[in-house]
Amino acid sequence: MSTAGRTARRAARALTALAAVAFFALASASGPAGAWAAPGAAWAAPASGAGADLKQKPWDGNRTTPAHLIPLRDENDQLIVPTDVDPMPFSARYTCGPCHDYKTVQGGWHWNAMKSEKNGRPGEPWIWLDPRTGTVLPLSYRRWPGTWDPKVLRLNPWDFTALFGRHLPGGGPAEPGDEVAFPGADSRWNVSGKAEANCLACHNKSGRQDESEWAKQVLRQNLRWAATAAAGVGEVGGMASRLHETWDVADGPNLDDHEWAVAPSVKYRTVDFDSKHRYFFDIAYPPEDRNCLACHSVSPVKDARATSPVDVHTARGIKCAECHRNGLGHAITRGYEGEAAETGDRTAESFTCRGCHLGEDASGTRLVMPGRLGAPYPKHTGIPLVHFRRLECTVCHSGPVPDKGWTRVRTSRANRLGIYGVAQWSTDQPAVMEPVFMRDGGGRIGPRRLVWPAFWARTEGKSVVPLQPGEVETAAGDVLKCEDRVAALLAALAQACGENEFAVLGARGWLFEVNVDGGLDAAAMVAPEQGGTPNDAPLFWGTKKDGVISPLVPDFDPAAQDKDPAAETKVQATLEALATVAGAPGPPAVVVRKTIYRMAEGNLAAAEAPAELAGAAGAGWLVGGKFVPLASDFDVRTVAAKAGTERTLTEEQVGLVLKALAAPEAKGGQGGTSDLLYVSGGRAFRLDKAGRLKSGEAAGDAAAPVTWPLAHNVRPVQQSLGWNGCTDCHTADSKFFFKTASGTGPLLTKSVATKSATSLMRVGSLFHRVFGLTFAFRPFFKLLLAVTVIATGAVLAVFLVVVAGKLAGLIEKRS
Amino acid sequence: MFVVVSLLALAATGLGLAFRRFRHHHPSSEGNILYAAVARDYTKWLATRIPGALKKPAPGGWAAWVKSFRVWRLPLFEKWLLACLYGSFAYLAASGFFCVIFVPRGLYGFPLVLHVFAGAIFAICLTLVAYLRARRFTFEPRPLALPGDLESVRRFRIPWGPRDWAKLVFWVFLAAGVSAAAAELLAMLPWFHYQGEVILLDWHRWSALVSLLAAIVFADLELFAPRPEAE
Repeated sequence: MSTAGRTARRAARALTALAAVAFFALASASGPAGAWAAPGAAWAAPASGAGADLKQKPWDGNRTTPAHLIPLRDENDQLIVPTDVDPMPFSARYTCGPCHDYKTVQGGWHWNAMKSEKNGRPGEPWIWLDPRTGTVLPLSYRRWPGTWDPKVLRLNPWDFTALFGRHLPGGGPAEPGDEVAFPGADSRWNVSGKAEANCLACHNKSGRQDESEWAKQVLRQNLRWAATAAAGVGEVGGMASRLHETWDVADGPNLDDHEWAVAPSVKYRTVDFDSKHRYFFDIAYPPEDRNCLACHSVSPVKDARATSPVDVHTARGIKCAECHRNGLGHAITRGYEGEAAETGDRTAESFTCRGCHLGEDASGTRLVMPGRLGAPYPKHTGIPLVHFRRLECTVCHSGPVPDKGWTRVRTSRANRLGIYGVAQWSTDQPAVMEPVFMRDGGGRIGPRRLVWPAFWARTEGKSVVPLQPGEVETAAGDVLKCEDRVAALLAALAQACGENEFAVLGARGWLFEVNVDGGLDAAAMVAPEQGGTPNDAPLFWGTKKDGVISPLVPDFDPAAQDKDPAAETKVQATLEALATVAGAPGPPAVVVRKTIYRMAEGNLAAAEAPAELAGAAGAGWLVGGKFVPLASDFDVRTVAAKAGTERTLTEEQVGLVLKALAAPEAKGGQGGTSDLLYVSGGRAFRLDKAGRLKSGEAAGDAAAPVTWPLAHNVRPVQQSLGWNGCTDCHTADSKFFFKTASGTGPLLTKSVATKSATSLMRVGSLFHRVFGLTFAFRPFFKLLLAVTVIATGAVLAVFLVVVAGKLAGLIEKRS
Repeated sequence: MFVVVSLLALAATGLGLAFRRFRHHHPSSEGNILYAAVARDYTKWLATRIPGALKKPAPGGWAAWVKSFRVWRLPLFEKWLLACLYGSFAYLAASGFFCVIFVPRGLYGFPLVLHVFAGAIFAICLTLVAYLRARRFTFEPRPLALPGDLESVRRFRIPWGPRDWAKLVFWVFLAAGVSAAAAELLAMLPWFHYQGEVILLDWHRWSALVSLLAAIVFADLELFAPRPEAE
């Protein structure tokens, strides 16, 4: 080719390139991409500017919810064909994202805890519950008072998701950025994937939406599959938690293991797909209450479901989301006064109690038009104005009636409610109390929920830094495993039991047996009404069949010629069962009437007990020639002390653990116990110089209860405080004012903090007793006032009549 | 607004009563039609009086002052009736207005309880006073005789002295006191809604303000006015 030809060709290429640049520049500058691209191009390229415009398109005014027959896309933005081999789970980011901007949604209240600067009124914290170490630790990324930042406890997003992912709606800590997710040494994000914001957790109208399935998938570390499984879109098998840390979703099924380390996979419900591989989502806008209640249920502990009260708004057919509204940004209206000023969203003023029912704020300033959703205008007849200025509406209208004091409730997130299956997920702890009336920063009193924290900590300067439960458990060694050891013994002895027969331990009046979860169940052996006390009964190991308790080793004479052969068979079975106990201090032995039985090469061997075992009887361990009881006195003492209570620690255990934590190896080479403490029931427990456990105050408010406001359930008017008159609260012995509650916690102790209702409300106890007394005379006072007003009014009336009469000349002046 | 109006009204009443004394001490000012000159003289007079008012009383001076009240010389029942009336009203006014003006939260706590009890005592005493002493404050029409010459007619005034003002404010005090008590009674009855309670509270406050102003005027005109010995 000639030089001229090459030059001409280069010129042609340059012109073509210039034309192309000009074309695309024009295309991008002249309105929607759809004007240039083929129909549907905007849908095919959701990340383009045109796509973003589509997502931000204002509502067209139609009040219906569009049918969501849409193609599922995976986390690589690839179309999911349900009949493919080993398809990926769907991704909300790429399935919902084309129409609902995912990044905008991610900024919503349910997902922004780690990044938000404006956190508003305190809400319910996440409570890290670890019964073994007696930890009840309120956590929150939102830096609410009384809560601990997970970062202070060195909890990374992976740890947080593992602890609380069961009730997280995906996103937030369950979907960290790559810069956070992958450097973590303990994290397995590459195996589990991230749990994207789960739109369907709230918006799925289908009855297949299963929050229990979500929790199970999170527990199995199947994070990227959890939404698919929970929504019932497909069936998910396998467990990422069992896979090697190098496994990646691109590796596909684990060909080496089809039984244990099975890789997660999804099998879609193909019946819900059309021929174009579009899936029909039955979408709820706004979300259904049941989806909210999956994570936001609160119920009194002692209530039966059939008789449990319902929020009056719900009873009227109002859905949660009709007041707790949001736009695409999912900045949920929380509904407290002051929210509008804090967030800048003036519409929030309409959704407070006062805004909706009165249309005004606490000062009586008219803000909005009341009556939204048909909210009735409250009469509040005869209630002095001070109540409206000093109390939140919820004091009289929300929560359980405080006629008997505080009510213990369980909440979804604190007590792991709403997760059903073979295993028991819900817990009795932590003990959440309501309604606890407290004064807020603005000087107004409102109802709160309250939890007493409990945790191990070390002091650093003037601050208290909690220790992770794992750290404590490692340092504590066997001190915290008394129940485990006794349960392991009973489980082993069960092997020697016949059909429908269970091994039991009787100690200090309590009968222990193993439950289905491997824990210990305790029942009082001697009922107090029968004249016994729990400490009366001696310790013994036995079996229980049909309610009849028999000794573990029957009493027989080994030297007798006509001894029952079944007795020695039972002894052999017992010894064989005890031999299976892991970590036993020595070989098992049974002593019956100065005869010691042992297992020797698989056979029962009997011999005369040596003189030093003269006092021994029953089953035990041979340790260095000595006969040691099956369970140590410490174990028996500890489990018996806690039996029948919710407590998981004794003072003896706390003292031992504090010593263990203070050991140089536990403290990184530094000894000393002065800066270690355990907090429970509002008190801090430390070891003094003599090694005795002492309780006292914790630095700052570390031992103080954490509280957060409650708003629901709202009671009907007739169940509100004040409906029966002033004496609903104002009496000399009112539960509202004079309830005193003691701190609760995992530690079995008498040293607990007490709080009176008046101290929490920061009102005068003496004044309210005197004020309450005055209500006994109030009817007389009203009568007296009425008489004086009428009598004086009559004098005034006569005066006016006389003056008018004299001025008019109708009444002559008397001489 | 109530606080501002209260402060202005109390100040105006005080200054007005002081002006009356000023006119009493400076009769020449009565004929002066130059208001600026009158105001200047009045201000000067006030300035000379204020140091005297702020002077520390002699030991036992307050007690002597209280003992000098005419009420102690009345018959037993009347003495204690009026003492209770004055005492309860003094506490009501002091606690109510002090808290409204100076305490952001208003009246609360034990002062409020005492306020309510004082209110009951005040209402009882006011009723008894109305029945026992109201007759003394009735108006008796007097015949008017117009002067015959034109100059006298120009200077003619309806005869209305301090005693008449005292009678008028007595009835105003009585009416305002009853009004305040009635507002409080109605607020305690389960008849009125939130807005009704707001109105009743305002009603109570304004009635209390009127009664306080009337009481101040009455005290100046009647209680602390020089009386003939026969009285």
